[in-house]
Order: sequence, then C-alpha cells, then structure tokens
Amino acid sequence: MLVAWSAVSRYSLSAVGRDRPGIVAAVTGALADHGCNLQDSTMATLQGQFAMVLIVSAPDDVDSAAIEADLDTVAQRLDLVVALRALHEDGAPSSSAPGGASDPGTSGSAWMIAVHGADRPGIVHAITAALADAGGNIVDLATHLVGPPSDPVYTLAIRATLPRGSTDRSLDPLLQAADAFGVHCTVHSDDADVL
Amino acid sequence: MSIRPVLQIPASVLVSPAAAVGRVDDAARALAQDLLDTMAASPACVGLAAPQIGVGLRAFAVDVTGHRKARSCHGAFVLFDPKVVVEGPAEVAREGCMSVPDLTGDVARATQLTVSGIGPDGEPCSLRVDAFEARAVLHELDHLDGLVFLDRVAGPHALFPRKVYR
Repeated sequence: MLVAWSAVSRYSLSAVGRDRPGIVAAVTGALADHGCNLQDSTMATLQGQFAMVLIVSAPDDVDSAAIEADLDTVAQRLDLVVALRALHEDGAPSSSAPGGASDPGTSGSAWMIAVHGADRPGIVHAITAALADAGGNIVDLATHLVGPPSDPVYTLAIRATLPRGSTDRSLDPLLQAADAFGVHCTVHSDDADVL
Repeated sequence: MSIRPVLQIPASVLVSPAAAVGRVDDAARALAQDLLDTMAASPACVGLAAPQIGVGLRAFAVDVTGHRKARSCHGAFVLFDPKVVVEGPAEVAREGCMSVPDLTGDVARATQLTVSGIGPDGEPCSLRVDAFEARAVLHELDHLDGLVFLDRVAGPHALFPRKVYR
C-alpha cells in the first residue's frame, strides 16, 4: 500500500515470499520501468523465505498509481507480500511527524555483540531490551538456529551504536541478561580506524 | 592415546577460561597425545584445544601440514600454557570450528606472531608462525579463554552455512 506519494521522492520497499528464481529481477524491473533508482538495499534468504528491503528514489513526475499496479502484478505472480512507503527527507515515513536530523545508526560509538547458547524463547528480547535501556541502537542483527534438532544452539550477532562516552561497562546489563538466560555474551568495540 | 569426542557449544567448558597446566606430567603428555590423535582423526581439522575434548586446561594442538593457505608450517605440535606476541597486521578470513555446528564466519586475526609455551617434553618452545598457521594458533588460543569464533565474527552478516566434511 502506497502512503502519501505526492511531493516526496524516496520510498522504502519491502518484499517477502517463498524463495524462487526471478524475484529480484521482477521487482526491480517494475521499478526500472518507471525510472526508479535503487539506493540502499539488503536481501536475505531465511529457511526458504526470501526477503528484500530497498530504498528507492523516483522522478517527481512518476506515475505512482502505475508503479503500484505493476508491483501488485509482480506480487500476485510470485506470491509476494510487497509494501511501499513514501519517506520524508529525514528518512521518517511520510505518515509520521518529522523527526530529528541525526541518524542514530551512524552517531556514537560502534559495538559488536555476540550471544550464543542453548536455544530458548526470549533471548533476542532480553538482550535487545537491555541494549535499548543502555541507549543502544541496532544497526545490523542476524540470528541462526544451528545444531541438531535434539540440542539446538541459538546464535545472535548485533552491531549497535551507543551514545558518545559509552564504555564496555555500559553494556554490562547485556551480560547480566545473558547470564540470566544461561547463554554466553561477549561485547567489543567495533569503531573503524580512519586511515 | 585415544580419539576423544569433540564437544560443541553450549558445553560450559567451551565458554569458560581454562586453567594453567603448570608442570608437564604423564597426564599432560597423555592429553597432548589425545589432542594429536583426535585432530588427526577429524577430517579437515587443523587445530584442537583441550576444552574441545572436555579438558579445561591451557593446551592445544595445531597441524597445518599441506593446507593451501599455509606459509609457515611446523607440522603437528602441542603447546601447554601458550602465550602469543602479535607481530603483524590482521586479515579477515573465513573459519569454522568443530565445536560450532553448521556455521563458518569471517574473523580478523593477526597474520604474524610468535607463540611460546611448554612442549610435551617439558621444555620451553617458541615458534614464529604466519598466515594460516597464525590463524590456527589464535583460534585455538581463543578456546583457552572460553571464546569461539562467534565471539570474534566481523559482523552480524559475516556468518555463513558450513559445508560438511566427511
């Protein structure tokens, strides 16, 4: 569903469905037919489900209804759930109030957080809730369920930013949350060296 | 000498710092042989640390003989109470571990270092290693500190499915 297309030129687009050849080609084809330009994108396959998220720019005079119609055609043909959303210049969806100018993903200090242990419900919530309480913002996150079905192991990796001045002690609540779940957690700085 | 089962996470011995060996006695020499035997019996295995066979002591075996990424190669060796002095820059490369099922990951490791410890003969031993042998040493050293490569992985999307060695 397109939200407030007029007077904006950037959009977020997500598409999810059972993996099969041709999904990326079909979705991007519908966009290219209307002069849309792909900016950032990420795509992943999780247990046979393909997911893509894209930031798309479009000419101001683009026929939004035609793009939506073409995306709908692709979605029906490939059995995808597709969502397109117009963005303000600051990245917020056009249906929400404008927010601050800073990007929480690129300000502050960068950290890597690794968690692994016996699988049980609630690990991601416990760790990310502790991270949010510490003022952390998740930039990237991936989880994997591995090992034999009789003894599954859960892995969680997070790249996050913390407010300036934070130290590894700022992440102690994550270690405590991990301990409470009986899983192993390590954190280390992930700031890049600028050469 | 015997081939021992290799433990996988979340075994507690794999996430706990190992204790110093100290004096090399018959039990330590038997541990060294078990590490070498288990490593040799495990396909594509180039290193094994004592915690991986359930022993919480600071000992590991490495053997990168014949590996295409190896430059330095000291053959099969065992060190007790190893210490490392890093002497070169880090490189990111893909690695896996018998104690981490199904996954490999990209990890930054130093490519030149000197590792010193005590050999199974009880004598001090110091080796300069580089490239893949350095990576193997640092991977095994991490096991002695209760860490696996998941704790070092370069990013959330730097983990990948592992092929199966038979």
